[in-house]
Amino acid sequence: MKDLLNDIGKKMPYQENEAYLDDLINQATEQAILHERKKKTSRRLAMMITSAAAVVLLVVGVGLTVINHGSKTVIPVQQQVESPMDQFLNSLSDEEVAQLPYYEIEEIPEY
Amino acid sequence: MQSKTDDNLLQQMLSDPLRREEGFRILMRQYGRTIYWHIRRIVVGHEDAEDVFQETCIKVLGSISSYRGDGSLSTWLYRVATNEALQHLRRQTHLFHSIDSLGDTLTEKLRADAMLQEDEAATLFQNALLTLPTQQRIAFNLRYYDELSYEEIARITGKSVNTLKTNYHYATEKVKTYIKEHSK
Repeated sequence: MKDLLNDIGKKMPYQENEAYLDDLINQATEQAILHERKKKTSRRLAMMITSAAAVVLLVVGVGLTVINHGSKTVIPVQQQVESPMDQFLNSLSDEEVAQLPYYEIEEIPEY
Repeated sequence: MQSKTDDNLLQQMLSDPLRREEGFRILMRQYGRTIYWHIRRIVVGHEDAEDVFQETCIKVLGSISSYRGDGSLSTWLYRVATNEALQHLRRQTHLFHSIDSLGDTLTEKLRADAMLQEDEAATLFQNALLTLPTQQRIAFNLRYYDELSYEEIARITGKSVNTLKTNYHYATEKVKTYIKEHSK
């Protein structure tokens, strides 16, 4: 086997022209560089588009919140916390309040 | 004759985004031919080798940041090229078939390319190599043609050194038998 391999050596049954091979290597190298540049550009572009979309969404969201907040009917605090009984009593004049029957706590009948 | 740029200097250039392209050009000038022939021995056909070489260049430049510097740059290049070549062969195989079933197709490609050279002994030797399982053939080529150590081949193929030694021995025996049987 050693003799046979020595005879054949590392010779390949096919060969390529040296200049052609150099040309192929140069072309493939430059193509790879171009490919990488394009990839970087499109990655940068995608990031810019995503950032721009995020900014637009933020602006629209904040704008909508402000608009909705402005159009809300604001109920006075007093109205919000008063019970119906308080409202009734507030609507009475001092004389009407004086005429209301007055009960001691012991007088309130038990049911 | 081009002077060989030191691997450390190349690594520094490749890890610097501003000098990466320049480093990549030097890298390919330095190892381009070796890688081309390594690919060619796996896929056999020249056009296939061209395609795989192009894909390898793209992969190398795109994943240069993943190279951690463990092992030499050339070993890493061999590994990327081997993976790309195997992927190319897998794309050529029919569904559920192993790449080892491509032997006849590769022999046909060899016949077409070797016709121009008419070197019978070299063609017979290549035919013998094409009877080997693909992984064994790759390991044989790396040892025989590229004269790499078993440790380097282990890093490229992911096989253990002992497995590679045994495979090389069996591959040599198979090639020997094939040549004996087929020589006139």
